[in-house]
Amino acid sequence: MTLVNIEKAAFSYGTEDVFSNLSLNINKGEICCLLGPNGCGKTTLLDCILGTLQLKKGRVLINRKETASMKPGKRARQIAYVPQRHDHTFPYTVLEIAMMGRAAYISMFSSPSDKDRKIAEEALERVGMTGFKDRPYTQLSGGEGQLVMIARALAQKTPLIIMDEPTAHLDFHNELLILETMSDLVKDYGLSIIMATHAPNHAFYFENKGINTSAALMHKGCFLAHGSPHEVLCEEKIKTLYNINTKIVSFEIDKGETRTQIVPIGTNRF
Amino acid sequence: MDDIKKTIIWLIILTAPVACILISLCLGRYPVPLLEVIQIFWCKLTFNTCGLPEMHQIVVWDIRFPRAVLGALVGGSLAISGAAFQGLFKNPLVSSGILGVSSGAGFGAALAILLFSSALIIYPMALFFGILAVCLSYMIGRIYKTSPVIMLVLGGVIVSSVFSALISFAKYVADPYEQLPTIVFWLMGSLASARIEDIAIAGIPMILGMLGILAVRWQVNVLSMGDKEARTLGVNTRLIRGVIIVSATLATAGAVCISGVIGWIGLVIPHISRMLAGNDNKILLPLSISLGACFLILVDNLGRILTGSEIPLGILTALVGGPFFVYLLKKTKGGGW
Repeated sequence: MTLVNIEKAAFSYGTEDVFSNLSLNINKGEICCLLGPNGCGKTTLLDCILGTLQLKKGRVLINRKETASMKPGKRARQIAYVPQRHDHTFPYTVLEIAMMGRAAYISMFSSPSDKDRKIAEEALERVGMTGFKDRPYTQLSGGEGQLVMIARALAQKTPLIIMDEPTAHLDFHNELLILETMSDLVKDYGLSIIMATHAPNHAFYFENKGINTSAALMHKGCFLAHGSPHEVLCEEKIKTLYNINTKIVSFEIDKGETRTQIVPIGTNRF
Repeated sequence: MDDIKKTIIWLIILTAPVACILISLCLGRYPVPLLEVIQIFWCKLTFNTCGLPEMHQIVVWDIRFPRAVLGALVGGSLAISGAAFQGLFKNPLVSSGILGVSSGAGFGAALAILLFSSALIIYPMALFFGILAVCLSYMIGRIYKTSPVIMLVLGGVIVSSVFSALISFAKYVADPYEQLPTIVFWLMGSLASARIEDIAIAGIPMILGMLGILAVRWQVNVLSMGDKEARTLGVNTRLIRGVIIVSATLATAGAVCISGVIGWIGLVIPHISRMLAGNDNKILLPLSISLGACFLILVDNLGRILTGSEIPLGILTALVGGPFFVYLLKKTKGGGW
């Protein structure tokens, strides 16, 4: 079942086109990895889906309703957002941060109820951060902080979560921890996720885990390809996208379980 | 935060200002025992005559009581506006004057002193220019739309410095024997002018402003996540920001127009509240009102008692508050910063 339709989307800053005529459908329970070089417009596209930027042409539908015309509260009950980098301001506790995910359900003149608090606590438990709930979130490590942001998005109870490079700045362990958490959420709740990422292997990771995964390759303001990772992430397309030589390898890690990975070989400088 | 601590903080919020007002009614050049104060209150509220000296009744009911109430309103207004602005601008170094309301009101007062001999015209002029300054900052903030918060701060900085320059100009052209001292004293801040009628006028914007901020207090948490995140969390950022700016401006302008420029409270009381109760604006904002009120009442008492003539409030708030703040920083290990 389709959850998100992006139809002929176009955006420009002033007269400079960022992208034009992008179309993409995302199903329920699907992870869509948005790939492309720096500055190709991934974050801009995500901002347009989130409604923080307005498309110049085309439209974005979620559950067949146009997002641009939704009020912020209504939109936030459909789409949650996990930022690439969260600027810390005040040392709120982890639970206070998670409860902010309930803002869309709380009227302007009131504050979170016991029910909102319970939902926020459940979300923290889901990502394994219950033990941290009274700690100032400014003192968490990068990985823990990202898990809290995911918990806040879960507390929003949306069918779609948008993540902008959720594993940037994270170490090897925390990167895998975030990816594992994401695939669990998709499996358990049937969530859909659109993520921008610089690592094509993330797409392979989800596909290897048996999740309904697609990779959308953004190149010069258009989609070069969109489809399942093993189809579209081929050496030739990666070369067009990033101008590097790569090798796709498959290997068996356990009996009957194979992993596909992409290995970078070299740039074409010489 | 556990429920016991929350209950204690709410008790402080509700009782501390009342206690401070009662104490300040006893203290001064004519000390009045607490029992007599309560007796006088009882008589006045029940419209009975009581057998206490007329002098005590006048001192307590007509002089000290309005002054203490004004202190509570001004302190509370400055502190909650500062705390709300800190959340709104995502910056703990912001105070209630960030959008230029203090310098605007200061210029309005200076202009009133220059042009008119009546002291009554000072309040409306200060109020008007305080609000005008914020409107100007807001308009400057809207010239360039992509980062509204930073542009607002920039607008505030520009407007503040323009009005500061205008204040200096007013001082420069003022008559040095009568007008200049009046301007200088006004700018240093005082509650001495408090009469019931003044409080009734300036109290309206202060109370409206405080209530406005309190009404949306939890939303301040979400706004402090930044404009983009707050919107993706489902908050109408423009509306909430507008409510906070209008309310804080009313509260601060109401305070400044009657008491002059009192620095420090709008910056530091919110921090003291953060150390005691954490950063959740749901409890931080009411606590800021309460502590701001207590602090200003107590400092005003000091100003009345310490020397024969009154020490201006703007001086004392920083002199007393500075060391106290350092002590708290040490005690709470910075409160999580």
